[in-house]
Amino acid sequence: MLLDRDNREMVSSAFDDISFDLCKRRREVIMMSADLSQYVDLFKVTKDLPDQYVDAGMAEQNQVGIAAGLAKAGFVPITSTFASYASRRAFDQMVICMGTSKNTGICLGFTPGISSPAPIHHQATEDLGMTRAIAHATVIDPMDVTDFAQALDAACDRPGLIYMRGHRGTTPKWLDPDRFKFEFGKTYPLRTGSGVGVISCGHASQWAVEASDILVDEGFDHSLLHVPTLKPVNENEIIDYCFAHDQIVTVENHQISTGLGGLVAEIVTSVGGGPRITRIGLPNTWAPGGSIKHIRSVFGLDAASLAERIKGVTQ
Amino acid sequence: MTSNSEKRIKTLELWAAKMRRNVVDVCMQRGGYAGQGVALSDFGACLYFDEMRPDGKGWYHDRFVNSNGHDTIINFAAMAEMGIYTMEELRTMGADGSPIDQSPIEGARGFEITSGSLGTGVSQAAGIALGERKRGTDKRIYCLLSDGELHEGSVWEAFMFAAHHKLSNFMIVIDNNDLGATGKTSDVLAVEPVKEKLEAFGFHARQINGNSIPEILDAFAEAKTIKDKPYGLVADTKIFAGIKVYRDAIPFAHFVGANGRWDTGYLEWKPGWQEIQDTIRKLEVELAAMP
Repeated sequence: MLLDRDNREMVSSAFDDISFDLCKRRREVIMMSADLSQYVDLFKVTKDLPDQYVDAGMAEQNQVGIAAGLAKAGFVPITSTFASYASRRAFDQMVICMGTSKNTGICLGFTPGISSPAPIHHQATEDLGMTRAIAHATVIDPMDVTDFAQALDAACDRPGLIYMRGHRGTTPKWLDPDRFKFEFGKTYPLRTGSGVGVISCGHASQWAVEASDILVDEGFDHSLLHVPTLKPVNENEIIDYCFAHDQIVTVENHQISTGLGGLVAEIVTSVGGGPRITRIGLPNTWAPGGSIKHIRSVFGLDAASLAERIKGVTQ
Repeated sequence: MTSNSEKRIKTLELWAAKMRRNVVDVCMQRGGYAGQGVALSDFGACLYFDEMRPDGKGWYHDRFVNSNGHDTIINFAAMAEMGIYTMEELRTMGADGSPIDQSPIEGARGFEITSGSLGTGVSQAAGIALGERKRGTDKRIYCLLSDGELHEGSVWEAFMFAAHHKLSNFMIVIDNNDLGATGKTSDVLAVEPVKEKLEAFGFHARQINGNSIPEILDAFAEAKTIKDKPYGLVADTKIFAGIKVYRDAIPFAHFVGANGRWDTGYLEWKPGWQEIQDTIRKLEVELAAMP
């Protein structure tokens, strides 16, 4: 389902089209923002479908509360802001107003992890762990425009709180929309092989594919598993994948505790006797600001370094 | 009855007395927020038994969001009179394994939201008001909160939002009892002047004696005439208003235990229980004598 290197493309302002298409097809959907619409590529809905757009101002807590109220009046609300604010500022509202409800409530967190150039305050590197801890919540970290669009569509029919990381700006289209079909909890093998099994989610699945391209050229035996659903994940698929490999590497745009690496470790240790798991991401530290290229290089997350680290686990 | 007649008021006084009785009945079992429930029974009676329009299916056309979880005893007290909960059920409140929560979660009969985390209900109520307007309904959305709850910053976000969107179908009622969890609101963190603050935030605001049924009815009537603004009612109440022996005995009580223990002393439940039964009998006689 991974497009060949020659057919991969970059899509500009992807979320503008995704949100507009969704709202045109589903008139019960209401897109929301906390005064950051332009910064998450939310343009066309605000101009052409004003009845389906609500701006809460710079008030993330109220945005989630208002959204939960709109859901109680029969709408499907989708809040949007940066992941740092969605998770840290409105966590109680996500839990209480949406998490205890059977109504659909979707919270999008953009520029997650180190995909924001502004350090710490704009970088949510713990949001997946926070939201994964909410009972009955659904947590999604898509890798490109294909699974982002499909997951958002599916979320509109799912009860309760759905926290989803978003992609803004020019975004890869690396999954083949003709072959990829998003399902909650499903895991997606992007490359098959034995040796080292690399499990990733979100932006980090892009990084893993980049590293994998290098490893393929070098003939290093490995496989790739993309896990867009952090919660609830199909645990049997994770177990089958992990126990088919001697070494597992998890790669995530997040602290290495409580996120994807933590999830995989929890599942594997519940069985016992599994492969060693090397968790790659942010190792209990704040990231610097700057371009994502720079920040990735600082943490050894650039394609070349990541490829070396994956190879290194066998030594 | 659409006029503010003596019979209408007497009828509501009787509903309020029955609600007070139910509050005391439940709180005597395992403790509860009795002082607030007794004081809010006048408002609760007016809302449940006069103001909100029935939907013809046993519930209401209009919607009531109780943002202050500590006050949900009045929802239960009213719904007991409506037959939605039995007193046998409600008397299990606070017992291990009881399905009756002191501050219920969303989905419990008659409750719109999970309200235990203060401040979060106001935003949801404003969202419901916006949603109902978008759907083109004429539903009115009532939201009860407390003066202590005004400490939560998100309520002010919600106030700004409601005013910006001109939610004239939205009415907030602030139980202004100068009571927080550990002392007087005015001592812990002052919130006054509440009415003026609401006006500054774009509300049409009014301050009343929240234990006066005629004043509550007047405010409800006025709220429907206000265009392009949400309505903010500052209802001054006094803890345990309506049951004199309790009112005289306790100047402050956030929570009263089953054994009567409150913050700095003990309350004897029995005299007030007797007083409210007597009040109900008196009101029934007076109402029966009215033409």
